[in-house]
Amino acid sequence: MESWSTHQLTEYFTAVNAAEDEATAIAGAVERATEMVEAEVGAVVREGRISGAYGFGPVVPEAALHEVAAGQPILVVPYVGEMHAISNPLGAESGDALIVARMGEPFEPSERQMLQGMGQVLGLALRSIRVLAAERRLRTEKEQQATSAQTRQRLVESLLTIQRAISARRPLPEILDAVTGGAAELLAGATVTLMLAEGGPDRRLTVASTCGDAAAPPESLARAAMAGGAALIRPDNGGCLIAAPVRVTGEMAGSLVARLPATTSGQNEQRDQLAAFAQQVSLALTDARTVEAVREAHHDLITGLPNRALFLKILNRVLASRDTTADPTSVLFIDLDRFKAVNDSLGHDAGDQLLALVARRLRGCVRASDTTARLGGDEFAALLHDSPAEAAEVVGARIVATLKEPFRVAGREVFIGASVGIAISREDDEKSEELLHNADVAMYRAKKEGPGRVLLYQPYMHAEALDHLSLRGDLQRALREGEFRLQYQPLIRLADGRPAGVEALIRWHSPTRGFVSPVDFIPIAEEFGLIVDIGQWVLETSAAQVARWRRDFPELGLNVNVSGHQLVHPRFADNVMRALGMAGLPSSAVTLELTESVLVSEPDLGRSALQVLRELGVQLSIDDFGTGYSSLAYLRELPVDELKVDRAFIARAELTAEDLALVRTIVQLAQILGLRVVAEGIENAAQLAALRGLGCGYGQGFHLCRPVDPEEIPARLAEAQGESPVGVLDHRSTA
Amino acid sequence: MQSTPHRWFGVGQSSAPDSRKAGAEAAAEAIGGRESKAVFVFASVAHDLPALLKGVRMEAGPDAEIVGATTMGELGSAGTTDGGIAVAALGGDGFTVQVRAAQIHRSDPRAAGAAAAEALHGLDDENQVLVLLADGLSGQQHEIVRGAYSSIGASVPLVGGFAADDRRFRQTYQFLGDEVLTGAVVGLALGSDGPIGIGVAHGWRRKEPPMVVTKASGPHIYQLDGEPALDVLLRRNELEGSAEDLFDRGRALQPLGLSRRSGEDIRVIHAGDDEARSIWGTADVPQGALVWLMEGDRQSMLDGAAWSCTEAIARLDGLPPLGVLAFDCGGRWAGLVEGGLDQEIQAMRTALSDAPFAGFYTLGEIARVRGALGTHALTLVTLALA
Repeated sequence: MESWSTHQLTEYFTAVNAAEDEATAIAGAVERATEMVEAEVGAVVREGRISGAYGFGPVVPEAALHEVAAGQPILVVPYVGEMHAISNPLGAESGDALIVARMGEPFEPSERQMLQGMGQVLGLALRSIRVLAAERRLRTEKEQQATSAQTRQRLVESLLTIQRAISARRPLPEILDAVTGGAAELLAGATVTLMLAEGGPDRRLTVASTCGDAAAPPESLARAAMAGGAALIRPDNGGCLIAAPVRVTGEMAGSLVARLPATTSGQNEQRDQLAAFAQQVSLALTDARTVEAVREAHHDLITGLPNRALFLKILNRVLASRDTTADPTSVLFIDLDRFKAVNDSLGHDAGDQLLALVARRLRGCVRASDTTARLGGDEFAALLHDSPAEAAEVVGARIVATLKEPFRVAGREVFIGASVGIAISREDDEKSEELLHNADVAMYRAKKEGPGRVLLYQPYMHAEALDHLSLRGDLQRALREGEFRLQYQPLIRLADGRPAGVEALIRWHSPTRGFVSPVDFIPIAEEFGLIVDIGQWVLETSAAQVARWRRDFPELGLNVNVSGHQLVHPRFADNVMRALGMAGLPSSAVTLELTESVLVSEPDLGRSALQVLRELGVQLSIDDFGTGYSSLAYLRELPVDELKVDRAFIARAELTAEDLALVRTIVQLAQILGLRVVAEGIENAAQLAALRGLGCGYGQGFHLCRPVDPEEIPARLAEAQGESPVGVLDHRSTA
Repeated sequence: MQSTPHRWFGVGQSSAPDSRKAGAEAAAEAIGGRESKAVFVFASVAHDLPALLKGVRMEAGPDAEIVGATTMGELGSAGTTDGGIAVAALGGDGFTVQVRAAQIHRSDPRAAGAAAAEALHGLDDENQVLVLLADGLSGQQHEIVRGAYSSIGASVPLVGGFAADDRRFRQTYQFLGDEVLTGAVVGLALGSDGPIGIGVAHGWRRKEPPMVVTKASGPHIYQLDGEPALDVLLRRNELEGSAEDLFDRGRALQPLGLSRRSGEDIRVIHAGDDEARSIWGTADVPQGALVWLMEGDRQSMLDGAAWSCTEAIARLDGLPPLGVLAFDCGGRWAGLVEGGLDQEIQAMRTALSDAPFAGFYTLGEIARVRGALGTHALTLVTLALA
């Protein structure tokens, strides 16, 4: 983020120096200075009079302006009210000043510094115009006049060059060399040295840049200019030395010193010119070192919104300034859905772009007086003043609705969403961190209930959230300590009852929680990014296992479930091939199962990985087929080999005509597209018969065989090889 | 018959080819038989403007103040028109209206702004705003608005737009009463005992790297980074050829953003000169300024529209808006044409909760609420009344 302030100084400088008379220079300076800092009013106090008053309307508060020139930081303007005012001296000696005043926010250090520079530049221009005017009146020395005008023009050009170097973010030493070089050229024959104070207690001065052959100037002069805060002239062996102080965000940082070989008549003008260069050095240093740091400390660079620290500061202030609890303050915690997927698949630039667009839409959802912030990652927050729960919920719903609309990022339509948690301040002494945390807790709870929810914090959620967080820790430990294990469920070819393959199913028996269902822990693993590691473990373990079984059952295939989070991982295809390679399992023996919702919500994501895997021979299955999306389009576009009909269609003890019609449709569709169909959840003989009658090729379910531990599988497989076409592997289930 | 509300606002539009009929039709819909205090007329230069104003006057009655401007397209609750007319009318005891017009002299454009601002003279309502409608081809937009601001100061906000002439860039017109003016500024001072809200938003973003305007005069830019400005723009657009290739073949929009404290101040560059290798727009670009080429996509522009409306309404102290005057940039029209215009109207309807609105596509927008700068480009400026 570049500083907007340095961008404007040369613009101002050019305007002021183009003026041919004092009134025009003053009017131009006041108006531009006022506009540039987005102030409402401005004026110049010069030789005891107010001139160039701007933005006051018919009544100029002259007395109040004189008070500002004398140091009063507040200016009261009739019909407008109190404003933050700042007075910027036009030169070192006089009490003349450029004044601007602004409603709302006080001036920041970088603005103050820029305005100080503007005052100096105006003073320089005015003195130059006065000299010219005097010469013009005398009608003498026409040449001198031309030279002076030329000098001003060269000064402008030189400063423009430096400005360009600053704005183009050239390396700092290069900019400093441009300053000393420009100043040396302008003060023909001078040697110009920039001395900067180092850190540490003694603030030793070192030469940062120099242009010219003469000896380095005495440190004492540089220090004197720093101490006095103004440019100085000192005679020196028939010539003279001029020193101008350099500041960084208001603090003395060093001096720009020129050694001139001979004393000339225009010493004061040369001093002013050197001061103008010193100002540029100040800006370059400020720009490079401070402004960025300050902004980085408080604002998020991607979205321009306040960051977490600033948000908490603002929230603190708001909470502290409340008179009663009757005017509640609401905090909204906004978490994006599917942002990580976009970031992983389209790259970080696209992710950043998306965050900026989200920030913009968020701003549109709240009042101008409310605060929005980016807390980090894909988390945002909003602070609503005087906003009871109902109003906050309306805003929350608006945010969810607006973020559901597609975004255009990196040339694609991207769909994300958001979950919102709301916390309302209830007590006088409520802490900002606590309020934000409660909103966070409510957001987690909202997310758990499904995408696009808005929930208000209730105390009971706290306990749940604690559990949620500890679950994450337990999962990490489970992976580390090897608490996961696999069970396998055979896929049976319905025509002859023979096993075609096995599906690997993860199980977790936690020492503290007991058995935890994958339905409960997989979403948490996805949320905390553990799923990629867990998925890889499943793949590697099951591939090695099936490779061993294939010595006895060479046709056996392996089905493995894959999460959408794994799919969009940039190294997904590599990871799969590595696991197969390590296990010595041919890729043609492996079918990856993806749920329909993953493929539909992120149709572009992971497609290239799937194509790569398909080309390497890995097969693809769609799990839970028919549960709501069922788009023919992706069946055509994706390299799918297998459909698994969701158990919901088969779960009834006796299949109805509608169920059968649906399954028949899916089977026919699969036949047209040349895909295998696997019916899940076959629990009795009637279902098995019906499905076989419909031409469904494969089946899974308790009636055929329960998921079993790996030790049991060889026996089951052997048993099935010799069995009749009834194909019942697990007699316990029918008992 | 129902009694006249304390404050009311209505809008009407017409695409009728006959100018008098179009004026009467749109005004009748906006006024709805009520006694109006002010009628805003935004119409295409293709109309017979005196006849159009006669039609409006017929419906508005002899006492209503009529002001207006020619456009680059009109917009309202019912949608956009190109070559049509949009009218907004307001009345009731809660509103006070005064008008003033002034001719722009090339040597002193500020005086015209200051003179039009005299419309505020003597107005003592609790809430006030000055609506300015000015010629968009004088090339001195900033100076006109600075003139008005220097006269009224920070106590009263400014809004308005610069008149256009479809896409001809030859001559624009302003309306005051039954008169058709050109090269003028019309000021309408509106006082109200209800709140007034103003919104401004654009929806463009910077394209790096920035450039320094190394030579410029008024709206003409001769050099960027020391290189002929036209060459720079051609290169940045990856084009070889003439100014015509750059500006007339579907790339008409070349927004430049000047670095400002709270974002960018945008200039639309719409023409270039192959011999001088210069480029220019309708508003001045100061030499020494740091500028970015700006880019925008449809969604961000639509977001901007909704943002502007939301901002205006947020300043109505919680009251529902009676209606909104909208000053939308002609450059946005160009960026949103082909389906986006309807989306923009829809975005505005939604943001305004279906409160009526009317306005026009301008050659530059005027809005000053905070700070001193009042001239904008490629923005949507909205004035909400409650």
